[in-house]
Amino acid sequence: MAAFLPSNPSTSCCSFKFSNLPSKSHVFTLPALPLLCRRSNYHRHHLSLNRVTAALSAVDSPLKSSSDGQDEKSQPLLQVTGLTAVIAESKQEILKGVNLLVNEGEVHAIMGKNGSGKSTLSKVLVGHPDYEVTEGSVVFKGENLLEMEPEERSLAGLFMSFQSPVEIPGVNNIDFLHMAYNARRRKLGQPEIGPIEFYAYLYPKLERLSMKTDFLNRNVNEGFSGGERKRNEILQLAVLGADLAILDEIDSGLDVDALRDVAKAVNGLLTPKNSLLMITHYRRLLEFIKPTFIHIMEDGRIIKTGDASIATVLEEGGYKAISGS
Amino acid sequence: MSALSFSPHLHININRNPKLTPKRRAKPNKIRVSLQTTFPQATFSDPFVIQLAESLEDSLPSSSSSLPQPLPLQKLRDSSSQTLLSTPWPSRKDEPFRFTDTSMIKSSQIQPITRPSSSLDVSTDAQFPSLVLIDGFIQNSALNLSNLPDGVYVGSLLGVSDGIMKRVSDFISEFQCGDLFWSINGMGAPDLGVIYVPAGCKVENPIYLKYLSVEGGNVDSKKLPISNPRVVVLVEEGGEVGIIEEFVGKEGNDCYWANSVLEVVIGKGGKVRHSYLQNQSLNAAHIKWTAVRQETASGYELVEVSTGGKLSRHNVHVQQLGPDTETELSSFHLLVSDQTQDLHSRLLLDHPRGYCRQLHKCIVAHSLGQAVFDGNVKVNRYAQQTDAGQLTRSLLLEPRATVNVKPNLQIIADDVKCSHGAAISDLEESQLFYFQARGIDLETARKALVFSFGAEVIERFPYPSIRNQVVSHVKNLMGTTDVSFS
Ligand SMILES: Nc1ncnc2c1ncn2[C@@H]1O[C@H](COP(=O)(O)OP(=O)(O)OP(=O)(O)O)[C@@H](O)[C@H]1O
Ligand SMILES: [Mg+2]
Repeated sequence: MAAFLPSNPSTSCCSFKFSNLPSKSHVFTLPALPLLCRRSNYHRHHLSLNRVTAALSAVDSPLKSSSDGQDEKSQPLLQVTGLTAVIAESKQEILKGVNLLVNEGEVHAIMGKNGSGKSTLSKVLVGHPDYEVTEGSVVFKGENLLEMEPEERSLAGLFMSFQSPVEIPGVNNIDFLHMAYNARRRKLGQPEIGPIEFYAYLYPKLERLSMKTDFLNRNVNEGFSGGERKRNEILQLAVLGADLAILDEIDSGLDVDALRDVAKAVNGLLTPKNSLLMITHYRRLLEFIKPTFIHIMEDGRIIKTGDASIATVLEEGGYKAISGS
Repeated sequence: MSALSFSPHLHININRNPKLTPKRRAKPNKIRVSLQTTFPQATFSDPFVIQLAESLEDSLPSSSSSLPQPLPLQKLRDSSSQTLLSTPWPSRKDEPFRFTDTSMIKSSQIQPITRPSSSLDVSTDAQFPSLVLIDGFIQNSALNLSNLPDGVYVGSLLGVSDGIMKRVSDFISEFQCGDLFWSINGMGAPDLGVIYVPAGCKVENPIYLKYLSVEGGNVDSKKLPISNPRVVVLVEEGGEVGIIEEFVGKEGNDCYWANSVLEVVIGKGGKVRHSYLQNQSLNAAHIKWTAVRQETASGYELVEVSTGGKLSRHNVHVQQLGPDTETELSSFHLLVSDQTQDLHSRLLLDHPRGYCRQLHKCIVAHSLGQAVFDGNVKVNRYAQQTDAGQLTRSLLLEPRATVNVKPNLQIIADDVKCSHGAAISDLEESQLFYFQARGIDLETARKALVFSFGAEVIERFPYPSIRNQVVSHVKNLMGTTDVSFS
């Protein structure tokens, strides 16, 4: 069985189906998309187009390993099509036509060289003001994500853990979490909760991440070590929940125990409905959180998609072994 | 310029008997006053100032009572009246007032307050021993002095022992760097509050000084009652004390002028923690002096939050008189209306191994608001191995909001560790985005970040109850009470 999916935009599933659609997100018509993608399982579709890579020929199709017969129920959660984006200030293009489909309940990983655009993609998805989308579309839960404000994206169930979270001096960590949690509750039409109730909600999550309570009274990320910042990001995810969590290098800077804690917490958040998009450089994380698909990013594009075995190839042969195709 | 312009609004009876002491005061002044001359006289007497001084002298309780005034007060008045003879009203041409317009005071009818407002029920924070000054008069009935260690004195100069009286005499009117307002206070202070901490005594509870302005006019009346509260803090060798100064008006937006002076003398190895809250009426003028003398190896820490006043100026003068001395000044000024907030500070380091840190932060949240900071740190030749740092950060939230900052680290010694910086900024976009990425809307994020900007200073108040009080006050002013950060 073939394991590699060539992700050349011209042949990748959704973009070829929509190749005649206008590429600007604003004119994208939404209703058609979920239908199309649901019916034809796009990954399977692509297997037939695959070139077989000898080294990986024994690996199962990513679909089989992930879907366990749930194919028919699985709905697209995030659909990125032909996404290009520039740095707002310099207009330098960083994303050069990204295509990506994440269905409900799937775990994806993006790997790729430093500077290939992985963090940029995740930041563009959550609406970071440093970037401007110039072309393409992003549909999240059936809605045009690109028209939403960053906070609306978050409230809609999209979460990104930052590769380097900023320090916010003067803002207490627990107050920040409390504000964010109440914003979520307002959005869900639930009454806001007070500090004591919130603490009761928060405490078990803190424990699961083996975080000391004094983190709560410190200022957001101020003076946190690299690993502590990552844990804090996951704590936010645990508090707020998400339909799609994008974790940008959540594993870098974590010691072995911390990685296990974080992986356990993340796995604990996974349900058949919600999905994960991890950005990582290392296979170690992928051993703790098993991905359905691995995408390789290069120069602002996803140039390959395959199953977990890609990580092995990478670790042994470096990016040469992949981009050489 | 303004030294020449005689204000017709000044509420003074010129024809009264001239009483201003000392007698050597020359007649020519009087003549000039009555003539309202227009020839140059800036280096001589300013008729406006002379009239003000006279009206202050007339208002003093001593002028009607036969009791002799305690010596230090008499000394203070003599030297102040002497200085006033040759000090003109400051103009924008004088460097210290280049950015600070005092014409709001000058164009009002300044009225000295002659007697304490009677039977006012003043609540103070019962957890601290406290001293209440109403319009500059010490309220003996409001003293709350339980739990003070033996030998500690808090109260009016009129009640001190001979020993303390002598110590106060040693220091009073020794300070040479005051300005006109310093001397006006010296002339008009009806009493002197004294906090005395004997050698080696560490006072556990901070002493709370509540300065209340009760007399006030409304904006249209142009009436500007002036009060001149004055307090001296004397900490002997090895003594430690915390003081909390809070300045407030009565309810409402009255016009008044609080012209206050605090002198602090810290003996060898002593320590003073000074918390300063200025919540005056938004139509008030608030001029304040804090003059500190620190002996060898002593410590002085100031944490200031100023939000009130139409015109507010804090002059801080700290002098390190011996080696191994530490000074820390932290100030946060918040301007939410058409107001000026000015901090003029001067720190003099003359001895080896001194340490000083100054942080000034201000937020101007009104298009007619103006913040001024002139902070001078002078590290003199003998102040080797000094560690000095100064940082000022301003946040301008409205298009025409103004800030004039002049951080100024003057170093003459060569073996010195110094850092300094000034930044005028908007909110950090990456920080705002972090809030949004967690589902918090921009408006709420802005408010939280604006608040956090000042929180860096507020966090430094050593007492939780004061911190909480300031937090809710500041949130109130910023309209962030709806934001759920506790
Ligand atoms: N705001 C920005 N300003 C300038 N250059 C930027 C900006 N954002 C991204 N870039 C550039 O775009 C390229 C992609 O950056 P990005 O952070 O997305 O890479 P990455 O794949 O996440 O790399 P890494 O593995 O090192 O985290 C880099 O060359 C980076 O320097
Ligand atoms: Mg990155």
